Amino acid sequence: MSSADNKRTVIVGIFTFLAIVILVAGIFTLAGQQKRLISTISVTAIFDDVAGLRTGNNVWFSGVKIGTIKSINLYGDSQVEVVMNIEEKVQQYIRKNASARISSESFIGNKNIVIDGGTQRAAPIQDGDRITAVSPLNTDDLMEKLQQNNENLVAITGDFKQLTSRLVKGEGTVGALLTDTTMAQNFRGMVDNLQRTSESTANASRSLTAFTHKLNSPDGLANQLVTDKEVFQQLKNSMTQLEEATASTSEITENLRTASSRLNNNNNAVGVLLNDQDFARKLQSTMQNLETGTEKLDQNMEALQSNFLFRGFFRRQAKEQAKQKEQQQSQSAPQQVQPKDTTQLEFKPSKLIEN
Amino acid sequence: MDLDKNKPGTAPARRRYVTTRRLDRIFVELAKVYRFNARFFREVWFPPYEFKEIIKQCYEIGVRSLPLISLTGFIIGIVFTNQSRPSLADFGATSLLPALISVAIIRAIGPLVTALIAAGRVGSAIGAELGSMRVTEQIDAMEVSATNPFKFLVVSRVLASTLMIPALTMFTTLVSLLGGYLNVHQNELTSLSVFFYQVFDAITFLDIVASSVKSVIFGFTIGMVGCYKGYNSSKGTEGVGKAANSSVVTAMFLIFIEELLIMQVINAIRAF
Repeated sequence: MSSADNKRTVIVGIFTFLAIVILVAGIFTLAGQQKRLISTISVTAIFDDVAGLRTGNNVWFSGVKIGTIKSINLYGDSQVEVVMNIEEKVQQYIRKNASARISSESFIGNKNIVIDGGTQRAAPIQDGDRITAVSPLNTDDLMEKLQQNNENLVAITGDFKQLTSRLVKGEGTVGALLTDTTMAQNFRGMVDNLQRTSESTANASRSLTAFTHKLNSPDGLANQLVTDKEVFQQLKNSMTQLEEATASTSEITENLRTASSRLNNNNNAVGVLLNDQDFARKLQSTMQNLETGTEKLDQNMEALQSNFLFRGFFRRQAKEQAKQKEQQQSQSAPQQVQPKDTTQLEFKPSKLIEN
Repeated sequence: MDLDKNKPGTAPARRRYVTTRRLDRIFVELAKVYRFNARFFREVWFPPYEFKEIIKQCYEIGVRSLPLISLTGFIIGIVFTNQSRPSLADFGATSLLPALISVAIIRAIGPLVTALIAAGRVGSAIGAELGSMRVTEQIDAMEVSATNPFKFLVVSRVLASTLMIPALTMFTTLVSLLGGYLNVHQNELTSLSVFFYQVFDAITFLDIVASSVKSVIFGFTIGMVGCYKGYNSSKGTEGVGKAANSSVVTAMFLIFIEELLIMQVINAIRAF
């Protein structure tokens, strides 16, 4: 073999060796990344829906890649059994009560399984164990809810569009408030009133605070009510007296009720007077007759005064009355008192009736 | 004898073509291809083994093609990454560029680009070389001198291309990924370790196996087509040119057909 052939052979050997190195390095890198060269345990989970999960996808625990999906098999009626290869060295961190859920590496990325939960009270997971599966959030459900939200948003924006349109046109109270200057001024006045009211309320609140502060002072009534036994005893006595007064009032009220009930009956004089209409008519008639009689008696008395037989009697009577009056005036005041008109002392039976 | 020249009263002449002239030619060509391939698989197992010639052809096909194919792969890696970025940027997913480059280069671009460039460079060289040897009757002379020209010329070249195209594919893939990394690092400041983590995170063993199998088949196709066209070239200088040209065109066409079929098979296996 010539040296040229030898050189050519060596170069071809190096070339081939490098190509094989690239291939082997790629295979080992891939195997290492897919956890193929480390000892693993097998764990299963039963899902209702794996949402496109595929063999070889990753298994994560607390944000760390700990294994891959070994196989995906249909199970039961419509469930799916997912077998995971998990690194043996992380076995101690995953508990038997841990749960597996299907997640996504990114919004458009591959699906994966995330193992989370598990408490220290539970034992570490073993090879062949089955962990609880949590149903994933279905993208279709998500999109359906998003669609509902979109429809709601469209309705809201439609309403808002109408609302703003009416506001711009000045329709409604708020629209008028925005466009009508008079209403705006009224509103401003209302706000001013509100401000004053709030200031008054603040003052009232301050007064109330001061009042309650006084109430809480050691000399205050409330404090004495709470702490002073003598005041409490007096209050108790007052309450007892008040109770007795209330009982008396109740008794009086009961008597009044009885009396009023009797007033409603016709078996007594006042009841007849109040309730019997026939008696009322008769009484009215009697009173009318009496009035007529007194008028006639008045006329008779006037005629009697004019009579010469009784004229002297009435004169004497008037003189005696005048004397008595003078004596009374002389006793009470020394000044001269004019005698009263005698006509004022005349006896009038009609006035008696009117009074 | 033509059929239209038959005279009445005489026995009918035997049909010259089984189907049509063109179809018959295609079938005859297929039969020749089959016989050529069958002869290769017969002769490849038995001595004498032409190691020296095989090494020489490996050097010519593999080592001499490495600069051209590596440079092409490197440029393709950069260009492909740069052209893919806007599509991913629309989704805000430029961080997925390494995964995209990985899948595209390892599954398809690496083997395909290597095979196409090799078909242009190696296929045409083999076709022209064997064609000129046929034209100058060197092959006939080898037969006369008790040397098996098929084993010496064809088996060595086909074996060399079958072995070297996968090796070239490995280099092309690596260099293309490095080109992609250069572009990604310039724009996204991604580190080399993160880049290659994402590259290998996106592929599976099936992808590497499929890429290797494809490159072996492509290499065999390039060598076999070049040798067949050159070995069976017609006489004259025109035949040499035709052999070289036909080697490239046929090899490239077959590479695309094979790519399509292998892709279907691999997808079926992946789905299974």
